[in-house]
Amino acid sequence: MHGILIIAAAVALVVVRVLIKRGRKASGAKQPSAPKRPLSPWQKKLYTVLVFTKLNTRRFFRDRLALFFGILFPLIFLFVFGGINSGSGNISFNVALLNRSDTAFAKQFAQQLDKSKTFKVNKTITSFSDAKERMTRSQVDATIVLPQGFGEVKSGAPSGQAQVYYTQNDATSGQTLTTVLDGEFKGINNKFVQAQVPLTVKGVTLSNKSLTSFDYAFAGLLGFSIIGLGIFGPINVFPELKKQGILRRLHTTPIRVWQYFLSTMFSQAMIGLISISVMFIAAISVFHLKVVGNYFEIALFVVLSIFMILGIGLAIGGWAKNERQAAPLSNIIVFPMLFLSGTFFPRFLMPEWLQKITSFLPLTPVIDGIRLLTTEGKHLVDIAPQLGLMAIWMLVVYIIAFRVFRWE
Amino acid sequence: MDKDNETILEVKNLRKRYGDKEVVKGISFEVKRGEVFGILGPNGAGKTTTFEMIEAMRSIDGGEITVDGIDVQKDPWAVRRIIGVQPQSPSFQDKQKLSEIIEMFAATYGERVNVQEFLDDVNLGEKINDFAENLSGGQRQRLSIAAALVHNPRVFFLDEPTTGLDPQARRNLWKLIEHIRDKGVTVMLTTHYMDEAEILCDRVAIMDRGQIIQLDTPKNLIKQLLAKGFKKEQKVEQANLEDVFIDLTGKALRD
Repeated sequence: MHGILIIAAAVALVVVRVLIKRGRKASGAKQPSAPKRPLSPWQKKLYTVLVFTKLNTRRFFRDRLALFFGILFPLIFLFVFGGINSGSGNISFNVALLNRSDTAFAKQFAQQLDKSKTFKVNKTITSFSDAKERMTRSQVDATIVLPQGFGEVKSGAPSGQAQVYYTQNDATSGQTLTTVLDGEFKGINNKFVQAQVPLTVKGVTLSNKSLTSFDYAFAGLLGFSIIGLGIFGPINVFPELKKQGILRRLHTTPIRVWQYFLSTMFSQAMIGLISISVMFIAAISVFHLKVVGNYFEIALFVVLSIFMILGIGLAIGGWAKNERQAAPLSNIIVFPMLFLSGTFFPRFLMPEWLQKITSFLPLTPVIDGIRLLTTEGKHLVDIAPQLGLMAIWMLVVYIIAFRVFRWE
Repeated sequence: MDKDNETILEVKNLRKRYGDKEVVKGISFEVKRGEVFGILGPNGAGKTTTFEMIEAMRSIDGGEITVDGIDVQKDPWAVRRIIGVQPQSPSFQDKQKLSEIIEMFAATYGERVNVQEFLDDVNLGEKINDFAENLSGGQRQRLSIAAALVHNPRVFFLDEPTTGLDPQARRNLWKLIEHIRDKGVTVMLTTHYMDEAEILCDRVAIMDRGQIIQLDTPKNLIKQLLAKGFKKEQKVEQANLEDVFIDLTGKALRD
């Protein structure tokens, strides 16, 4: 799976480079070939969109600041959030190990403990007083002491009693640790002493994978990245274009608002796909994200999401005469979405009434949809409710965007 | 009808108000095909507003404008196809090459053009792969003119094209405007510089407070003034300081 993904990304990059180079040749010193037959009026209109899309995308990749905010910034967030969330899936203990026995068994046990994922052995601690002090500062959860003579072979089997010390504050982890160690000893005991145990318990892992907190965080981060591209992009760029009179100048040509919007949608979608592919690659290779969905469906959904969210950005940026109008309005719209749509923490943690309200926010179906497609293996047909809600929002935001757009 | 005397632009009783203030108060004039027509006037006279109404950029509160037979109010999009507009201070997006800017403007008309040719025409052929933000003021003006001509417009509007340029760049721009006129394009321009109007314009309209107070050829206007008994206080020198400047620094373009 990794291999395919990386190859796909490499191919995509090569295609983009070739397209850019070809574009350069066409616009560069070489004579562009005149169109063989005259274009129909509709072809001309679409040609306008095509050229604007190409030039917008190219400009993005030349602009270091845009590259930083479009690609690197979401990636930094991914690493920060991934780092926070990846550890919480497994229980582990920070322990000090004081081995006072010199038997082979004790040595072997200490090595095993060190390798185990459940225990993180702090090796700098060698005295009990040091261990005690660290425990009071909660730097270690507990101290395991293997007393002298631990593991001495008596009547064919190693024997002895390990001690687990813990403070009152850490009683829960101390007791859990004792139980865990007890369980391990029982396992060892069984190897030496065949005893019939009447009551046992066995944990069985179900084949269905449950969602880890990283899965939730990842979908939210993609949502965050889409907000960045779709809203922060236009609201930063449009007021500047108006201030410089660039949009005004364009308005003296026959270009229509829909052509301008469409080219922006296409170029943002391309940039978004690249940015999100980078995030997928990082999540899969660093944080072991298991993608069970279909990549084509995910890509299609991401493009739709960018179109919809971009409509909000086009409405705000297209309406605002300057940054002073754009900034507060975008904050009013973006911040509730960031906090209530599941970007930074999952919506199931909210009270039920709030979940009901926030399920209608435009970003919510985006994040839910990405999670359902990516980690829950659902298909586009399964997420019809999300798609429906997005379609309604798309209609609303674009009607607003077309109505309020100003060229200056 | 004689081709030279054909009217390409007709403005009839044009009005515009912003709130309480009427900035254009029912002006009328006609422009002939192929002429260079200047609108002169102090700041706030209504020159730019008049231009913007003709360019279909502003709504018209009263009166009529016809450009090459097209009613601007009825079909603004058809007007946009046949006019070229040079804004007061042209600017371009950063990280865009000159070639891409020409390509982009041609694309707004659905056209694909020979970029090199258009840039050569304004003396920027060598900078085809430079970014627009690295151009000087005069170069930016010329790039903007090239961008405004990609679709062979019939009427070309220049709003104060030489404001802020050095004398060399101004003279170069005058030549360029004459060159455009020679191709048969009708040129409309506004300016604060009377020498510019005198050299370039076939006819000028002098506007003040939203009204046209005089309209004639520069020569006739001067004659009329002299006929009223006007005399300059002294006219001894046959050159002015600008002639000195050009003599010392040369006519060659600096940028």
